[in-house]
Amino acid sequence: MDDARLTERHLSTDETKIAAKGVQVYYGDNHAIKDVNVDILDKTVTAFIGPSGCGKSTFLRCLNRMNDTIDIARVEGDIRIDGEDIYDKRVDPVQLRAKVGMVFQKPNPFPKSIYDNVAYGPKIHGLSRNKAELDEIVEKSLRKAALWNEAKDRLQEPGTGLSGGQQQRLCIARAIATSPEVLLMDEPCSALDPIATAQVEELIDELRAQYSVVIVTHSMQQAARVSQRTAFFHLGNLVEYGETGHIFTNPEDPRTESYISGRIG
Amino acid sequence: MTDLTAAAPVPKTSILTQDKRTKRRNAAEARFKAYGLAAVLTGIAALILLMGSILYNGLSSFQQTYISLAVELPAEALDKTGNRDPAEMRSVSTFGYTPLIAAAIEQKMAEAGVQIEGLSARDAGALISKEAPAQLRNYVLANPEVVGTTVTFNLLASGRIDGYYKGRVTMESALLDQNISQAQLQLADAFRDSGTLVTGFNWAFITSPDASDQRPEAAGLGVAILGSLYMMLIVLALALPIGVAASIYLEEFAPKNRWTDLIEVNISNLAAVPSIVYGILGLAIFINFAGLPQSAPIVGGLVLTLMTLPTIIIATRASLKSVPPSIRDAALGVGASKMQAVFHHVLPLAAPGILTGTIIGLAQALGETAPLLLIGMVAFVREFPDAPPEGFFDPASALPVQIYNWTQRSDPAFVERASGAIIVLLIFLLAMNALAIFLRRRFERRW
Repeated sequence: MDDARLTERHLSTDETKIAAKGVQVYYGDNHAIKDVNVDILDKTVTAFIGPSGCGKSTFLRCLNRMNDTIDIARVEGDIRIDGEDIYDKRVDPVQLRAKVGMVFQKPNPFPKSIYDNVAYGPKIHGLSRNKAELDEIVEKSLRKAALWNEAKDRLQEPGTGLSGGQQQRLCIARAIATSPEVLLMDEPCSALDPIATAQVEELIDELRAQYSVVIVTHSMQQAARVSQRTAFFHLGNLVEYGETGHIFTNPEDPRTESYISGRIG
Repeated sequence: MTDLTAAAPVPKTSILTQDKRTKRRNAAEARFKAYGLAAVLTGIAALILLMGSILYNGLSSFQQTYISLAVELPAEALDKTGNRDPAEMRSVSTFGYTPLIAAAIEQKMAEAGVQIEGLSARDAGALISKEAPAQLRNYVLANPEVVGTTVTFNLLASGRIDGYYKGRVTMESALLDQNISQAQLQLADAFRDSGTLVTGFNWAFITSPDASDQRPEAAGLGVAILGSLYMMLIVLALALPIGVAASIYLEEFAPKNRWTDLIEVNISNLAAVPSIVYGILGLAIFINFAGLPQSAPIVGGLVLTLMTLPTIIIATRASLKSVPPSIRDAALGVGASKMQAVFHHVLPLAAPGILTGTIIGLAQALGETAPLLLIGMVAFVREFPDAPPEGFFDPASALPVQIYNWTQRSDPAFVERASGAIIVLLIFLLAMNALAIFLRRRFERRW
């Protein structure tokens, strides 16, 4: 916890982007998320931490309804983005996911060219009218993902040929190419080496300027480094949620304290 | 902890000498390897024996003995009215052509100065296949202008003469054979010496239709190959889309519940149903109920489609399953609909597996005999089916059925024909499997 940035960080906004109230998730008979209430702020990096199987990824996947793809999963409660209930009957999850992008644990570029990877989202959502516009979106997204310099000369090469860290940045570029408002990241650095991790973390910090970023992480150091707010999950409960500095230096709940000091987890 | 100190000291062993346990273990491993090797060698030996016997028996069917004769085509015999109208010339049947060939042989014998004791003109004429007059007639009807001239034909030698040069018929066997005499064989030898009797590649074996019991030399695979081709087209056109669509639905869209489980189990069961059962099904539904014609490729194709579907569905589902879920997540994560995720990302990755499964299924269908016997494809068909789609409803044969058919015939020349047909079938199967391997290599992508 000796990261220098921890002290100089300040919250940039207090505007709520996502408001979750009384969220319950069941996998069959298993009650995976128990009554979680959380307000995620706009233009902020929010970290979900907690031991394995505590439900942090499950909760993250509720925010763009990726749990819909699992037959036995059932979500109850109220999750609103900008005041709109995302589990409303009228909501098409496909439209929602264009608004709430997602980056996964394992870099999963499509086995297509780097260009096609980034252009896929804009193509299916009709975000460009012609090739030139699409090119522009691809370049912008790759630039934002800090991959442009490495990839600009090999746009037609397969995305799977990149290194692990580059692949993950490609996935981030792919996610931001559809101009989402919220970016969900499910342990984006767990498959990366420390140098690639540092690059991705730096990128996350930059993305905060435009997006509301929610990141699930195993690493408390990472949460401390990149996030402004932290939520600690334990056994499906949201134990504590607050400013990152506060959680790490002065946790209120004894379970949080045990976890961050390494006694459980 | 105190117990340990009380235990007897372990005797010191050297790793340079093998102890008993190790020796036993090594011996067991050596035995197992020997069993495995023996099994593989037995398999290879059986394969070599099988291929050897098929090739030994069948390769000669690709060679055929012809007798080259200059046949005079007199106008007074073939075209009495003299206006070269094929419709009127049709009134002369193949019997009208037989004396022309006999005359040509006689002339040839005179030219070559061949004199063979005890050989009647009729016997000399029997050197030529019974198919030859029809061969002649078809040529004349197709080219009416040749009437009145002399044309040189390569006429099929009879099955026995053909067999003489393939080692099937000998001077000794001719003594016991009513269909051939030693005198005829001597004449054949004389013709061979004078260059009248020649051996060439047997294109007719691949292109011409089946022939009756008495003329094995004329029997070909044309109708059977065409029938098999039509059926494969029908199977491909029906089984591939239906099978792939069913698999995609079951794998990607259907809810996982009791009903889909039941369907899944039954698809596996269907794959194991004996093929003759599909034949009975086809007979009952397509012929008796739907009233489709017997012996038609459409019925054979439909029956084989039913038979191939489970294979294709199982292969397709397996290859869909092998696409990593992260690809689906990635597509859904950027806001693709489920269908877009499947068709843009999952299906292209599964394509090599689907193609392989389809081709294996097709190859299986190509070699299938039992169901075709029940829907009347075992019939003797000499007429070529028309071009599709009408041709799908014309009677036709199929390669495996043709083989079955020929093995039932009495003339020993059909043994050679049947083996030759097996070689053709095997070449088709090998080609299809090679295509499957090629496609898998070509389109396989890593992720």
